[in-house]
Amino acid sequence: MAKIKALTQEWLDAYKAAIVADPEYKQIAKDWEGSVSLICNADPGKGIPEPIYMFQDYWHGDVGEFVVCDKAKADSAKFVMTGDYSRWKQVALKELDATKALLQGKLKMKGDLPYVVRNIKTVNKVIDILGAFETQWPDDPE
Amino acid sequence: MADTIVENRADEVPFSYVIAELLTSNLQQKPNKMKTFQNMYGVVGLNLPDIEAAITLIFAGGRVRIDPGIVGKPDLTIISSSEKIISLNAINIKFGLPYYFDEAGMNVLKQLASGELKIKGMFFHPILLTRLTKIMSVM
Repeated sequence: MAKIKALTQEWLDAYKAAIVADPEYKQIAKDWEGSVSLICNADPGKGIPEPIYMFQDYWHGDVGEFVVCDKAKADSAKFVMTGDYSRWKQVALKELDATKALLQGKLKMKGDLPYVVRNIKTVNKVIDILGAFETQWPDDPE
Repeated sequence: MADTIVENRADEVPFSYVIAELLTSNLQQKPNKMKTFQNMYGVVGLNLPDIEAAITLIFAGGRVRIDPGIVGKPDLTIISSSEKIISLNAINIKFGLPYYFDEAGMNVLKQLASGELKIKGMFFHPILLTRLTKIMSVM
């Protein structure tokens, strides 16, 4: 199966499909309400010339819109997570725990933090799925 | 306002922002925690050796100051991995006390038993620990 280019609309579509297909996700996320944006900071040296904004809509175990978007839409999400490209790649490849990254300041989050902690299983589940499909990262050899 | 009573002097420790944000949001969202907070006096150290980060929370009756590192000899010192520390915030509160007989509570007890989580001073300062658990719980 061909690898999907990371941080593209195709990649987000694959991510959404993987979440929908996960047998446990719907139950784990039954209490989650609200959209999440992932922002990948620019890193021209790694093939990311400009920041990439990704908006994802989650609602009680269902998933809605998953789109690469502009800054305004990303900022409108209930939760906004921002990090450098290398950090997102490490998280997806499970080389870096997302909670650890947050506590180290390697990822930053805007939004209701107590809500996230209350629903940490949902967060961990979607992060776990992030690395569940073959991805071509911009700085990997083709 | 709650955000004026949490003074973060640990700018260089990113972890301090997470703790300050959790505490501030909790006090704003659940005013019943404020009464507990107003009765808190004591010093609590939080040490996360795996990310080489530590802070000290100095509670003074409705105010808390966060200093970088472990300052002096805290009444309580919590030592945990960064991945596990968040589980402490998931403890349920029942009848005004931390509840250890559900999944979240048992998880914390298991971490204590295995040594993954250490709380120095817990037997000498149980009231401070109970109050800390109440104000930090997001449940």
